[in-house]
Amino acid sequence: MPAAEAEALVGSGGRPGALHLEPHDAEADRRALEQLALWCEKFSPVVGLDEMEPGEGLLLDITGVAGLFGGEQALAEKMIQALRRRHLTVRLAIAETIGAAWAVAHFATPTTACGLAHLIPAEQTQDALRTLPVEALRLSEKTVTLLGELGIRTIEQLLSLPREGLSSRLGDEVLRRIDQATGAVAEPVRAVRSQPTLQAEWLLEAPTTRSEQIEFVLQQLIEQLAGQLVAEGIGALRLQCRLRCEHGGPLEFAVGLFRPSADSRHLWELVQMQLERLRPNAAVSELSVKATATAPLECRQQQLFADGDQAAGRRQLAVLVDRLSSRLGGPAVLRPRLSADAQPELACRYVPLTGESTKRRGGGPSISAPAHRPLMLLPRPVALAEKGDRYILCEAPSGPFRQNVPVPFFPSRFIFNNTPHQVHRHWGPERIETGWWRKRGIRRDYYRVETDRGSRFWLFRRLNDGQWFLHGAFE
Amino acid sequence: MKTMNGSEHVQKIVQTLGQQVRRLEGSRPAAAETLVSTGSEALDWLLPGGGLSRGTLVEWLAAAPGGGAGSLALAAAGAACRDGGALVVMDRRRTFYPPAAAALGIDLRRMIVIRTESDADEYWALDQALRCGGVAAVLCQPEKLDGRAYRRMQLAVESSGCLGMLVRPAAVRGEPSWAQTRWLVEPLASSGGRRLRVRLLRSRPMLGQRAVELEIDDETGITAAHALPLAAELADPAAHCRPAGA
Repeated sequence: MPAAEAEALVGSGGRPGALHLEPHDAEADRRALEQLALWCEKFSPVVGLDEMEPGEGLLLDITGVAGLFGGEQALAEKMIQALRRRHLTVRLAIAETIGAAWAVAHFATPTTACGLAHLIPAEQTQDALRTLPVEALRLSEKTVTLLGELGIRTIEQLLSLPREGLSSRLGDEVLRRIDQATGAVAEPVRAVRSQPTLQAEWLLEAPTTRSEQIEFVLQQLIEQLAGQLVAEGIGALRLQCRLRCEHGGPLEFAVGLFRPSADSRHLWELVQMQLERLRPNAAVSELSVKATATAPLECRQQQLFADGDQAAGRRQLAVLVDRLSSRLGGPAVLRPRLSADAQPELACRYVPLTGESTKRRGGGPSISAPAHRPLMLLPRPVALAEKGDRYILCEAPSGPFRQNVPVPFFPSRFIFNNTPHQVHRHWGPERIETGWWRKRGIRRDYYRVETDRGSRFWLFRRLNDGQWFLHGAFE
Repeated sequence: MKTMNGSEHVQKIVQTLGQQVRRLEGSRPAAAETLVSTGSEALDWLLPGGGLSRGTLVEWLAAAPGGGAGSLALAAAGAACRDGGALVVMDRRRTFYPPAAAALGIDLRRMIVIRTESDADEYWALDQALRCGGVAAVLCQPEKLDGRAYRRMQLAVESSGCLGMLVRPAAVRGEPSWAQTRWLVEPLASSGGRRLRVRLLRSRPMLGQRAVELEIDDETGITAAHALPLAAELADPAAHCRPAGA
């Protein structure tokens, strides 16, 4: 649903701003799908993800499995029911090939016979495909458009063309997809499970407390792991190190990276920094290093600080961020992101730069910053004490007050950081309210205040009880 | 700024001579001498080369809290990032508020905020950031800065070409500093928009002081309050007594 449409729907309910928008996170979708794939292993030993973008399908190899469930029909029904209990509606097809099942699941109109499941017996594969549009063959958009221009819309039309002509005119893609759908070439399901676990471990014959020895072993492990990463063409985004001690629980720590890396020197440097902080005092008997998050090495993340050919600067920056996060911890190295929240404290969120999927730390929706915000905002507003000696209340000076906002008093003097400030001028109020449905809603009238020395502060009056607070300074 | 045109020729000569002097002083290779704007024409005009040199430290002394020094420093840091590179903000006090930075036109996607727990971590992280070639500017508010730490920062920016923006209270004015440029930012009580008086206390190799009154407005940004900056003021004798650099 487009955001505007949702806005309209919610807006008609009366309350503007009640709509909560989150940026689409394809990475999270994919992770959820992967989890579902693992759950589906109760139906088949080989469950894979649909390679087409956007990935939204699961592929199950049920060769020889259907019998255990009492036939293909029964298996399909059981699956649909089980998924429905997880509040998921599925379109399911069982066919001889991945291509045919994909085509039918995506494009065939649901039959009444068995709800949303289609069962295509092996000998009917071709017939089932005939009437479907060419898109059902998992062709690229470009090819589909080209075929459309040639007047070819259904698979039947496509199949009636001579093969030689197809390949020379449209490339190998069309033939490969046809063959995959009809079963002329084999196409295996690439199981989610089969992805290698990137891990290296070492059992010490004699447990040790000597740090040189521990460091040496860890370094070896990281070199092994880096070798595995390089072989897979991926880099680590997060490393999990585990030191098993003789007595007491294991020591564990994680290292997050800004950009995937398979460079053993860089990885070792980051692990070493963490190790320095965490001195094991019991004898270590077993060590392991595992890459818990990875990403392809030549990554889209380069766009983060993309400016022409400043690749060297970006590399250095990635190393800097990794170093900082490693020693200070991930939550100390952050990217700010504006969020559309009325409450000033919540109008900005911080996203850690390492160990996270890159999509989440990206720009997010562009929200324009509100005007008149101080550069220094206290995490907790400071109450200007009620006692007469801390600040003096006086009649409101003349100012452009709104009629319906009663501001009987305005502090003429206040003390902040042990310094008295004399209010010279003020602007406001800017009323900021959050809804009652929030646990701790706020109702505040904010004023910008200039002192007689020209300093500017951000004060607010809590409308519930009239208490004044200092919230920030226009540094 | 029409009156500038007449003296432009003279300015150019002074600029060239200044560069030669710096080259002779030999602290940095001439190639590293690239200038960046402060983000404000009026402040650029005060500076000997017409901008801040990359690979130097710049001090912004705040005469009063809530006095606008932070905004000027941030605007200058943002201007330094315009040609690429990240902007690092050291936020030890957890009071930095990015929406205000966004309102100044700073791209938050290029910003890295570092929140440390201890002084030791703060100085370590600061040193790492100043040393990094991918960082265009660092904004920090060091609580206390001893001579050694200061010198170390100076060497760090020299090696990377990063600009180090230090926002400090005016109370440190008498302390030695390794900054090439030192500003004093005083807020002025005003009847109209926000007014600041910005004094250039030091910009090597220039001696003496110059000042300008600025007006900050949310729509028009930072502009000179007067058509021309104030005439160079008589140098504050205290500024001369101090040895340049240490």
